[in-house]
Amino acid sequence: MAQKKQKKAIRPGVCFPWEEKVKEYPVIMGDPKILQKSWEEIDSLAYLYLWFCIMQS
Amino acid sequence: MSQEMEKLYQERLTRYVAAMRKEKPDRVPIRPFAAEFAGKYAGYNNQQVTHDVDLAFDAIMKCCRDFNWDATVGNMVYVWTGLTEAVGLNYYTIPGIDKPVTDAFQYVEPADEEGAFMKADEYDEFIADPAGFVANVWMPRANKYAVAPGQPNTAKNNLSWLKGGMAMLHYFNKFGAQVGRMKSETGTVHAIAGCLKAPFDILADKFRGFRQLCADIHRQPKKVLAACEALMPHMYYCAVAGSDPTKTVPISIWLHRGCTPFLSPKQFESFFWPTCKKIIEDLHAEGRQVLWYAEGDWNPNLRYIAELPEKSIIYHVDRADPFEVYEKVGHKFAISGGIPNDILAYGTPDEVRARCKEVIDRVGRNGGYIMDAGAIMQDDSTIENVKAMTEFTVEYGVYR
Repeated sequence: MAQKKQKKAIRPGVCFPWEEKVKEYPVIMGDPKILQKSWEEIDSLAYLYLWFCIMQS
Repeated sequence: MSQEMEKLYQERLTRYVAAMRKEKPDRVPIRPFAAEFAGKYAGYNNQQVTHDVDLAFDAIMKCCRDFNWDATVGNMVYVWTGLTEAVGLNYYTIPGIDKPVTDAFQYVEPADEEGAFMKADEYDEFIADPAGFVANVWMPRANKYAVAPGQPNTAKNNLSWLKGGMAMLHYFNKFGAQVGRMKSETGTVHAIAGCLKAPFDILADKFRGFRQLCADIHRQPKKVLAACEALMPHMYYCAVAGSDPTKTVPISIWLHRGCTPFLSPKQFESFFWPTCKKIIEDLHAEGRQVLWYAEGDWNPNLRYIAELPEKSIIYHVDRADPFEVYEKVGHKFAISGGIPNDILAYGTPDEVRARCKEVIDRVGRNGGYIMDAGAIMQDDSTIENVKAMTEFTVEYGVYR
């Protein structure tokens, strides 16, 4: 989907972007991709909750 | 799941899918969307099936067991008010709370600028970040417990977010189990998966209110268009997120304000159609079909809808003339519905059978037709008429 019109918006499926979350960690001693995967999975559910309140209720 | 039930399920799925793909199955499939009708049939009132989701699911199971439906929806009482009350959403009337248990739930759209969940001067904020607007502006206005950022927090605000999330998880877990029960216990196909709304409809229904939006399309038309474009990727994302991963059953789009007489064809072309069309084209490009649930009369807009790719939608007819739909877009899309709810509520079984015969003869004669009421069946549809629609289709709808 084209998203040219959304200059400031966070991309669909995201509430709290990983790019912001990762800044909270002074250092990541393990694999950051493991952290990112679980963060984004739950974050996308929060996003869907918000929009399902709009679309399905 | 027994072999017998698996066989029945596969027969029904093959029949349903063939019709949706504009092919000729062994007979016309039947796919009613039973909302409060299911409760009536099972002996529950509207409060019970609206607020107690287990009873709503049981009611559908009873319909699946007793009627010979090829496909239906696990719960078509569209809003589980247990969830909306857990969140604190304030734009409903609910049977058993605001209205008698014999009434159906209803949406209460913002009637004026003061009540609008998005104000006329907030388009720029909305366009910049629709999801942020939903979380930080819409929710505190549409939810009696939520607190806007910067305001003193409350325990009820915290609980609204927590309970709302838990309630949605609870509901969709139960819904998944319901889909499995329909298949394994009754061989019934779940008719749809995933929900799409047209950006203009969402803007009207849930943000501005239709009356306010009608003023906006004259006073600030570019902002309305930009808001629809900003909504487009979010509507697309949500539709895909809930869709069938096998792409077998369609995503539903429940269409509201694009029909006659809410918008003129010119307004439809300018405001409603561009973003709605783009989403459906993108879904089609990925191999997904959309059930175009055209609530009301959309026939004045058929020339636009005909622009969609072949088989990208299943065109559902509510109050419009199904024969005109067949004439104008039947060469491109499968068609469903066309049996007026008025007849199911106030007609006789003979009148129901006559209408079904006419629609099968004129719209379904070459396949590509799915029998259904014009709209979701509420508790005014009579049991004898729904039986007549079902039994007539099973008997007369056989292709020879």
